[in-house]
Amino acid sequence: MTRCDNWVMQRRTFLSRAGLATAGLAATAGCMGDSSDAGSNDGTLTIATYSSFTGEDTAGNWLKSAFEEEHADATVEFQTPENGINRFVQRKASGATVDADLFVGLNTGELVRVDEQLDDQLFATVEDSLEGADTVDSSLSFDPEGRAIPYDTGFISLVYDEEAVDAPGTFDALLDPAYEDGLIAQNAQQSDPGRAFLLWTIDAKGPDGYLDYWQGLVDNGVQILSDWQPAYQAYTNEEAPMVVSYSTDQVYYHGEGVDMSRHQVGFLNDQGYANPEGMAQFADADNPELAREFMSFVLSETAQKEIAVRNVQFPAVEGVEPGGDFGKYALRPPEAVTFSYDDLAGNVDGWIEDWARQIAGQ
Amino acid sequence: MGRRDGWALWVGVAATLATLVVVFYYPVGRVFADAVAVDGQLSLAPIRSVLGDPFYTGAAHTLVTDPAAVPSGVVEWLAAGAPAVEFGLFGFTAYQALLSTLVSVLVGLPGAYVLSRFEFPGRRFLRSVTILPFVLPSILVAVGFLAMFGRTGLFNDLLGAVGLGPVELTFTLEIVVLAHAFYNAPLVTRLVTAAWESVDADRVETARTLGASPVRAFRDVTLPQLLPALATAAVLTFVFTFMSFPIVLALGGLELATVEVWLFARVQSLDLTEAATLGAIETALSLGLLYVYLRYEARRTEPGGASRGLSRRPLVDGVRSLVDPLRLAVFAYGAVVLVLFAGPLVSLVVESVTTPAGQPTGDYYAFLLARQASTASGTVRPFPAVVNSLLFGAGTLLVAIPMGIVVAVVATRGGRGSRAAEALLTAPLAVSGIVLGLGMLQALVFGTTLFGQRLTVTGPVAIVAAHAVAAYPFVSRTVTPALRSVDDSLGEAARSLGADRATVLADVELPLVAPALVAGAAFAFAISVGEFDSTVLLSTGVDTATMPVALERYVGDRSLGPNLGPATAMGTVLLAVTTVSFVLIDRVGGRWE
Repeated sequence: MTRCDNWVMQRRTFLSRAGLATAGLAATAGCMGDSSDAGSNDGTLTIATYSSFTGEDTAGNWLKSAFEEEHADATVEFQTPENGINRFVQRKASGATVDADLFVGLNTGELVRVDEQLDDQLFATVEDSLEGADTVDSSLSFDPEGRAIPYDTGFISLVYDEEAVDAPGTFDALLDPAYEDGLIAQNAQQSDPGRAFLLWTIDAKGPDGYLDYWQGLVDNGVQILSDWQPAYQAYTNEEAPMVVSYSTDQVYYHGEGVDMSRHQVGFLNDQGYANPEGMAQFADADNPELAREFMSFVLSETAQKEIAVRNVQFPAVEGVEPGGDFGKYALRPPEAVTFSYDDLAGNVDGWIEDWARQIAGQ
Repeated sequence: MGRRDGWALWVGVAATLATLVVVFYYPVGRVFADAVAVDGQLSLAPIRSVLGDPFYTGAAHTLVTDPAAVPSGVVEWLAAGAPAVEFGLFGFTAYQALLSTLVSVLVGLPGAYVLSRFEFPGRRFLRSVTILPFVLPSILVAVGFLAMFGRTGLFNDLLGAVGLGPVELTFTLEIVVLAHAFYNAPLVTRLVTAAWESVDADRVETARTLGASPVRAFRDVTLPQLLPALATAAVLTFVFTFMSFPIVLALGGLELATVEVWLFARVQSLDLTEAATLGAIETALSLGLLYVYLRYEARRTEPGGASRGLSRRPLVDGVRSLVDPLRLAVFAYGAVVLVLFAGPLVSLVVESVTTPAGQPTGDYYAFLLARQASTASGTVRPFPAVVNSLLFGAGTLLVAIPMGIVVAVVATRGGRGSRAAEALLTAPLAVSGIVLGLGMLQALVFGTTLFGQRLTVTGPVAIVAAHAVAAYPFVSRTVTPALRSVDDSLGEAARSLGADRATVLADVELPLVAPALVAGAAFAFAISVGEFDSTVLLSTGVDTATMPVALERYVGDRSLGPNLGPATAMGTVLLAVTTVSFVLIDRVGGRWE
């Protein structure tokens, strides 16, 4: 942590004590710090994550409160850089300090990118010494070096309107005239579900066959929008009867007055593509012990249930059943497929680029 | 500049340049350095590899890979009957930008005519809020457009009611072009209205008394004063839509991808050299266009001397006036405006009080209140976001208006290289937002080592500076043509009486170009209020969140399920706050006119 950050933090603490926390417009521009200055072990755990993990009613907020309750001296602070893990790769590459202890919300492709970009280790290996790491479903573990520990997973599937189309059932069926102009997907260059769906087609059709398959999808009128939100919005507005989404869709849509026919989950080839989310401790963490305690806490049964329900993702620890609405409405695919770290390394960028060029070159 | 320029102008120039260097030239330069260097050595290899890739430049790639084969290739092509040629991603990007510019001008120009030549209730209000679309995040424009022009949208309901349709607009180039017109036609309207209101009525009347027909008087007197504003608006629209990004993939899909989509993908995968190269080529094209245009504008603008504006005709003048062909055309235009602009905006507001199933709801506003009451850390609360937006907007006005005026004064001085200097000073318009964001991240957030200290520049002051840099070119671009048309003899008279340059500017010239200045101020405020990328980058936490930041956080908030209701509610707040602000800016500015 730089001197600058410390100063800002202390200033914040002071301001909030003085009841002036909203005096946010005081200038902090031009503050100075030198990067060699090691931060003090003051019990602050800085967690970098994506923004929707934090704030009111979120898994992040629950974890913060529950963890702080168990560790009286600890304070959890969140950072939500807009460009996610890239922020820290770029920091490391440009010689700036990595100003966080833990990253939460890392997927396989991102970890591959981290390793391809950096010679130095961004993350520390923790698996062997981490309490609870052995309880994680081994099919979800995606880091051969034991740095990233999965804490939940989603399964990519289709969501469709059963009034408009029958469940397609297979990848090949999506090429039938019955599904013409029927599917909305997302851009694999910028969207997590879009990327997972593309990888799923590569898993099903092979690296030599997926581009032909996608040509078939394009000829049958598939639409590829920027990200999940615009795609789902277009689906909601009945622009198409199928959308690439998550198998947890019905957790949000059930109960009285909800038309469930528009929220049918379709697995293709009886599969869903698993997209596990992991957490990893930064090698340069100021507070590595606290970071590991937090990671263990995340893997505890109570936390796993809460994360599943609040983040609407399946738990990563084996045998944890969240129950309630989640247990009732979140659907597991008969078979989960996913590419391993080694499958993706050296390949994933090329696969996505070839695909994107083919679509945009139409 | 001599002593007679007055020290105030000198200080202004120095402060403008210093701000630009810190939050613009240095960060952007750091990124672009990657485009022209390999391993620290100057190299054209990155640029050659992009321009020589048929995916990017289509048929034009042989210009780089095999220039000697170009003449024979052209001959073969002509011999084959000149079939359609593809120019790759750059070619398509330019093509859709050209279409968008044409449509924006076609839609925007009649608006300027109506607003400046007719009097009707609500005219001032409409003029004030013309550029409201400017502040809307693309995700909300997509929501509004789907609700209005989608398969089951209101537009198809309307067509169905008169026995037409349905039309399938989603996922087409047409809807992307319409969305670009939604953003940019208001730019055309606002800039041309300001110019039209500055046309000197005395000169028009003189022409008429000398026997000129109304058409002739328009062509010889009015048109020359409108053309610079119209051309400015068209050039800016082209540059903006050339670099368009989120809206293309939100409404059109990846098949309609622009260069900016690839640039963003390169930044995501941290292939920063190719990202920088794409950005540098975009900027070179945009700056080249701006430079050519500025040369044209400098030759074109004639001194006018705006003493008295044209009088406006009442739009409705008795029942008979309603069947006048001209007025019928105006009403038909009004219908187009209602569909294209009011449609998506009203749809957005309707979405904020409607469940996905179509039932009325107050949940989304209750959500805003609940977030306001929240004490959980990391929660963006709506009211502080409104306050921050207004404070940053006001700060931006305070910085961008003087900066814009300084640049306009420099631009109107003439002399060698002044067009090139002006183009460089307008560069913030010609640089991709993604490139600027990347530069700010590297240079300001990560910091720059200077004298053994790592300097970082973040926080509210940095945010205002970044907003001002994005906004001042709008001030200078509206003020420069107007300033150029001010009769030189007025300034010379004042200076012969002992006034220095700054005094002449403040007391003589600026009051004469007040409509342009007010338009520039409205743009500057809009840019600040709508800005997202650098606000998030330079923020020090949720306490500097603005309305668009809050909105983006509510898009990702799933506590009411994955729907955009809370975001549309925040969007409605954004629209309301901005509307009031625009009216205030016009009223305050109008007092000075």
